[in-house]
Amino acid sequence: MATPHPTRGTGDLTTFNIQHGFAEALLRGMRSSFLKDADYHHLTQCETLDDVKLNLTETDYADVLADSNAMSPAAFQKVAVEKLVCEFQYLRTQTVEPLSTFMDFITFEYMIENVMLLLKGALGGRDINELLEQCHPLGMFKESTMRSIPTFENSARGYQDLYQTVLVDTPVGPYFAQFLMESASSRSGGSYNVLAEVEIEIIKSSLIKYWLEDFYNFTMKLGGHTAEIMGELLRVRADSNAINITLNSFGTALNEPAMRTSDRKRLYPGFGHLYPAGIANLSDVTDEEELGRALEPFPQYAAVWNIHASGHGDKTIDDAFYERDVQMLELAFESQFHFASFYAYVKLKEQEIRNLVWVSECILQQQKDEIQNFVQVFSQNAPWRK
Amino acid sequence: MSSAQCASEYCNQGWSEVLTHMSPYGYASFGVAFGLGLSVIGAAWGIWLTGSSLVGAAIKAPRIRSKNLISVIFCEATAIYGVIMAIILTNKIKAPETSGYYLEDGWDYNGYYYAGYGMFSAGLSVGLTNIASGISVGIAGSSCAIADAQDSSLFVKILIVEIFASALGIFGIIVGIIQSNACEFPTFAISNNYNN
Repeated sequence: MATPHPTRGTGDLTTFNIQHGFAEALLRGMRSSFLKDADYHHLTQCETLDDVKLNLTETDYADVLADSNAMSPAAFQKVAVEKLVCEFQYLRTQTVEPLSTFMDFITFEYMIENVMLLLKGALGGRDINELLEQCHPLGMFKESTMRSIPTFENSARGYQDLYQTVLVDTPVGPYFAQFLMESASSRSGGSYNVLAEVEIEIIKSSLIKYWLEDFYNFTMKLGGHTAEIMGELLRVRADSNAINITLNSFGTALNEPAMRTSDRKRLYPGFGHLYPAGIANLSDVTDEEELGRALEPFPQYAAVWNIHASGHGDKTIDDAFYERDVQMLELAFESQFHFASFYAYVKLKEQEIRNLVWVSECILQQQKDEIQNFVQVFSQNAPWRK
Repeated sequence: MSSAQCASEYCNQGWSEVLTHMSPYGYASFGVAFGLGLSVIGAAWGIWLTGSSLVGAAIKAPRIRSKNLISVIFCEATAIYGVIMAIILTNKIKAPETSGYYLEDGWDYNGYYYAGYGMFSAGLSVGLTNIASGISVGIAGSSCAIADAQDSSLFVKILIVEIFASALGIFGIIVGIIQSNACEFPTFAISNNYNN
């Protein structure tokens, strides 16, 4: 993988602000746009979506909600995501290298998800306009590119055309190239029928893996505080990806002995706290009990796993990971003179949007008992602040 | 690359000879240049650190923009220390009253060199401490602007940190003044009866 080499370093404590001081301060100014404890308190007291909307007009969402007639959880989500994307793109225009490449890296994840969504939708014969609606606005290519993705023929030849004419020109093209290359070398047979054979979810996991590795390499090359803080975030991200892939593979073809080493193992990212010893253990596990045992040597993941394994409360492993992520991202956001705060901002905003959707869904379905089950962002009452 | 020692009396006998042959007036003037130049570098460094964060943070919280100019002024003070020191030092450089090509007999060479080296070092003391002070005020000022944008009660607290950072520069100027106090360039020979 040809990770772009940063044109220059990020600078340290004394020189970071020459290039990136403005963009960083601008981003930190946006911290005030997060919903506060009081806002969440008011939101959870609401009885109807009208109330929710009324309460949101007291927050930073006022402007975007004023022009829309959104009145459902999905519509709130759409408005909130659009606001996030708008802010992100505004920030992106204020940045210079290497920060702008760093911010592009953040969007690649959404591009991969969008392409996969389009491919999956096209295979299921869904309408293109409906699919485009669902795409994450942060990962959009040009309109014409987006429209040409699902028009491929469902054949080896069609996939070849898809890669060679459309995807190769997109920023995520190299990840597809790497995927096709690796698949071709591990399987006998033509190189371009692999897209057709492999399940979309596996392609997606592979691409996300390549993206993570690429992003990690880029971050390491940047050096300084960025490598230190962003490196840690990405290592944890890689580990939770590996754990999730393993967990989700139980009961699917991926967990069969032959597939375990040939396919599942290839989906694990090649860095992180689990890599390499933990990953080697993970690739042999066949059920949840063994997974728990494989994670035992890693206290931080054993703790998360125990929340899942003990099964008490309503916490899933996703919630446990979210909680950990939010804590780490908050810490990353709050230290100065590095790039990880840009990544942390996007991820924390995503968590806030998830919270918003959760609260409004609970209100819509009158599930008031469940309404507190979300991980608040920048809360003064968070367990790690007490 | 080592060559044979040069035997001629016109050859330099190493760096110590080169350095002692430089005019004390030159040393004194370099002291002024370093004192002023390094202080201004420190101040400018602090101002860009603070300024870029200040304008960025002021977009979402415009109320901070005038208040945080104090941070910029603190950085500017660093340059002012340099200017004060440069003025003091420059006033101490006095040309000799003799008009000849050579210095008179009985010239106070000890005082002459003492003044040159003393003022050079005084300039460096001020310049280097002011670089350190300027950068540290700048970093504190940058954090001050960002913190103030989120929570205005933090402004005064971080300002105290800045004052301490700014005090670093004052240490330099105090020592610099003491260093240069005894430096006095001789303007005429102490005794003219050396030959009599």
